[in-house]
Amino acid sequence: MLLELNHIYKWVKSGGRRVFLLNDLSLKIDEGEFLSLMGPSGSGKSTLLNVISMLDAFEEGEYYFDSEAVHDLSSKRKTGIFNENIGFIFQAYHLLDDLTVYENIETPLLYKKIKSSERKALVADMLDRFNIVGKKDLFPHQLSGGQQQLVGIARALIIKPKLILADEPTGNLNSAQSDDIMGLFKKLNQEGVTIIQATHSESNAGYGTRIVNLLDGSINKN
Amino acid sequence: MIRNYFKIAFRNILKNKGIYSINIIGLSFGLATCLLILLFILDESSYDKFNQKADDIVRVVFKANVGGEQISEAVVMPPVAQTLESEFPEVIDAVRLRKMNDPKFTYNNKHFRDFEFAYIDSGFLEVFDFDIIKGDSANPLENPNSIIISQDQANLYFGTEDPIGKNLSFEEGDKQFTVTAVFQEISKKSHFEFDVFASMNGYEYANSTSWVNSDFHTYLLLKDGSKYKELEAKLPTIINKYMGPQIREALGVSYSKFKDENEVGLFLQPLTAIHLNPGFVSSGDLKPGMDVKYLYIFGAVALFMLLIACINFMNLATAAASKRAKEVGIRKALGSKQNQLIKQFLIESFIATIIAVVLAGLLVFLFLPTFNQLAGKAFEIKDLLQFSIVILTLILIFIVTVLAGGYPAFYLSSIQPILVLKSKFTTSGKSNLRNGLVIFQFVISAGLILAIIIVYQQLAFIQNKDLGYNKDHILVIRDAQLIGEQRQSFINQVLEDPKVKSITNSSFLPAGETDVSMSGVLLGDEYQRRMFIYNVDEYYIPTLKLKLLEGRNFSKEFGAEQDKVIINETASKSLGFYEDPIGKTFTQDTNEGGQLLTVIGVVKDFHFKSLHRKIEPLILKHNPYGGVIIRTNTADVSSLLTSIESKWQKINIKQPFSYTFLNESFDNTYLKEKKMRDILSVFTGLTILVACMGLFGLVTFAAERRVREIGIRKVLGSSVPEIIGLLSKDFIKLILVSFVIAFPLGYFLMEQWLQDFAYRIEINWWVFLFAAFITTLIAFGTIVLKSFKAAIANPVKSLRTE
Ligand SMILES: Nc1ncnc2c1ncn2[C@@H]1O[C@H](COP(=O)(O)OP(=O)(O)O)[C@@H](O)[C@H]1O
Ligand SMILES: [Mg+2]
Repeated sequence: MLLELNHIYKWVKSGGRRVFLLNDLSLKIDEGEFLSLMGPSGSGKSTLLNVISMLDAFEEGEYYFDSEAVHDLSSKRKTGIFNENIGFIFQAYHLLDDLTVYENIETPLLYKKIKSSERKALVADMLDRFNIVGKKDLFPHQLSGGQQQLVGIARALIIKPKLILADEPTGNLNSAQSDDIMGLFKKLNQEGVTIIQATHSESNAGYGTRIVNLLDGSINKN
Repeated sequence: MIRNYFKIAFRNILKNKGIYSINIIGLSFGLATCLLILLFILDESSYDKFNQKADDIVRVVFKANVGGEQISEAVVMPPVAQTLESEFPEVIDAVRLRKMNDPKFTYNNKHFRDFEFAYIDSGFLEVFDFDIIKGDSANPLENPNSIIISQDQANLYFGTEDPIGKNLSFEEGDKQFTVTAVFQEISKKSHFEFDVFASMNGYEYANSTSWVNSDFHTYLLLKDGSKYKELEAKLPTIINKYMGPQIREALGVSYSKFKDENEVGLFLQPLTAIHLNPGFVSSGDLKPGMDVKYLYIFGAVALFMLLIACINFMNLATAAASKRAKEVGIRKALGSKQNQLIKQFLIESFIATIIAVVLAGLLVFLFLPTFNQLAGKAFEIKDLLQFSIVILTLILIFIVTVLAGGYPAFYLSSIQPILVLKSKFTTSGKSNLRNGLVIFQFVISAGLILAIIIVYQQLAFIQNKDLGYNKDHILVIRDAQLIGEQRQSFINQVLEDPKVKSITNSSFLPAGETDVSMSGVLLGDEYQRRMFIYNVDEYYIPTLKLKLLEGRNFSKEFGAEQDKVIINETASKSLGFYEDPIGKTFTQDTNEGGQLLTVIGVVKDFHFKSLHRKIEPLILKHNPYGGVIIRTNTADVSSLLTSIESKWQKINIKQPFSYTFLNESFDNTYLKEKKMRDILSVFTGLTILVACMGLFGLVTFAAERRVREIGIRKVLGSSVPEIIGLLSKDFIKLILVSFVIAFPLGYFLMEQWLQDFAYRIEINWWVFLFAAFITTLIAFGTIVLKSFKAAIANPVKSLRTE
């Protein structure tokens, strides 16, 4: 098992009352799964992904990642686990505007203090794999949305994460681009990467191995 | 990684060219100003420090309050040096210098006049650093009538001949001096500069035991580590012991009674403080000093400018924060640690700072000649390589880097990535920090504008003040005192020129170089106070256009009038001649005893000293000698000058013809203030420019942030002025707030400055209005420059994006 959430509650106070963003949510995810979180807008998909990423906290419940009790960990350790294991893919790509494709992909390696020669090899590999060698010196604004998301994925993958979190990765793309990305996810999954994606699209969800439906911060059993 | 930081930093700077040019240009102005002013301050505060024993040397000065007259003199009585040395063990050596005015040497029938001459005790050469380059370097002034001369003088007198052992005839053969050594010219950064020193051994007056005549500059070499303040505290006992008995003798009152009504004392002044302490300028200082106040003012201006440039940096960084915050969030989500981000931001500001330093260097290089002119200095680029300047530059680079990059480095880098990813993090347009800093910038700008207006006003006031005499069309030939017997015929010849209105024979002038004479005045047997004496002839009053209030002028009709005087109003009041001063008598204390004088006239008070000082009592005596003062009919005197020069040359005199204009001398009296005005004006202009550049940047951000709002408002029918109003409203508010702080502060500081003038303007309410108006105008102009563009932009364009 890769991670386990037990009775997670997350709330915000509003006018003295608790507004639940996650409400008694329990979920187990095995290594090698490709899970799709579905549910209407505002149902808590992003919130859940953020909690899983450990970037966001929760108020109650237990969270085990790779059998470490996340709810007891210091924020420094959490950041450490996140940096080692998790790649995040954003709906809005969030590429660094001032860096080229190559440099965007390279950035996480810089922060891990990986040697220059090794970095070169890894980035070259990734460019190759996503067929964007020819675009490596372009800046994000010179790319289409689909291409930008490819770079986003390459950047998430470069640290060889165990887990990929993708928040509506195709939300800004047309259906052909969307299918490409999903095909890629499927292939990655087959290579052994665990993927959790939030999506509105039935067809996207179809690429995955399991679907979890959210409603008002809880898993909708229907 | 470091390389990567630099790469990213460079790219960021390039990408944000607009903002960074504002930052970097502003910063380079600030740094260049700092460097120039630092040069100036270091130069001014390093006077006399070249002396190896500088820290252990003090000068003895005299301060007194006698009969209501404040006296402070850089010279003290002849026996002071010897007395202090024998009374106090901490005084290792005490040496004296006695300056002689208008000296004259004759060698080989050639006359030399243009040099500075002083007698010194032989120990003087031990206490101060002298570089003897020829002759006896051990003790060249041991024997009476030995002199040492500077290299330049040696060349002038003797050319290629060996100067050592040569005899020079002093004055009109009064004395024969023998050259025993040649010294390297004294540094310009000394509080004295002399060309010739003679041995005090042959100088009669040096042996005087008088404790009532002050004429000797006296310096003490103190034991290493002894505190001069402690020694100073013991000096009153010396005054009691030695001066007391002589006071009784001279003034006829007991010393204890004298002390009840008056104060007299000797004080000590560290050698290195002399130049920055201008209290003795008009009373025996050997060179004009620099008021340390002005160094503070200049230093403050430089710092302000640097601060304003740093604030631009900070402000524009906060304004760009929402953009940078997103980057921080992403980078953190990609595994960046906070300290890595801190480094990255600091490297960015470091690079910008370094670029600014390089630019500043270039600016200094370009403007050094201009600055030299402004400040009256002769700095060279290599002067910047002094240790202290280099170190200070490095420290400045560090401080500016941290100040300028501080906000993004320490605040933005702490942002949690989740806030950004949830797009919860929006920096609103309003920021208290930024508002505070903008206010600060305009406090300084408005304050400086206020200061400048007041400085201009005061100087204009001086220029236009009724001085009680007329300084225009006055030509002064002080050297005419050298003509001797032929003076009257010279005057008569010059009078023939129709351009000459009148000529008076006197060396006493209300501005510029002048003879000074003072005497004690008694009413009956009662000592009153010292008064200034002007030795003049009957043409003095009409030539200078003094106003005779009562009585009559001197006149040939009454024969010799040596015992008649004309006094000014202040003297008349001081002597208590309220009713009818004409015919009243008083006694002038002279070396030959008292002289009874009768008042024949009273002149209206005129400013015979600078306007820094209150008008003091003055006595005009009929005693013509010295120079020639000419009133001309016109300002166009070039032909007159040629004709006077030819008459000058006909007299058999070696001295070249030289002259001054009284109004120019008058103007030069306020050179320090004018220099300050000019330096302040230039740097105030630059400071305001830098502040406005920052404002421009902020308006740019505001317009960018509100581009949609502006678009919508325009679609809804808002006019261009309304949009400009919208964008400028917030800034104008800040500027108004800044006045509330700047004006009381500026008022307070400028009052201090005006205290220096006995005759001064009062700070008027409209000055504040005017300063406010100018500041607002400049700021508003800047804002409109930018917001106009935003206001006229096509709204459809801005609304289509997104
Ligand atoms: N910090 C917060 N404060 C208040 N409400 C929040 C906060 N974060 C998220 N929400 C609310 O929680 C709900 C879940 O949001 P989100 O996880 O973004 O939904 P989804 O991604 O499924 O559209 C939404 O109603 C959102 O408005
Ligand atoms: Mg969402």
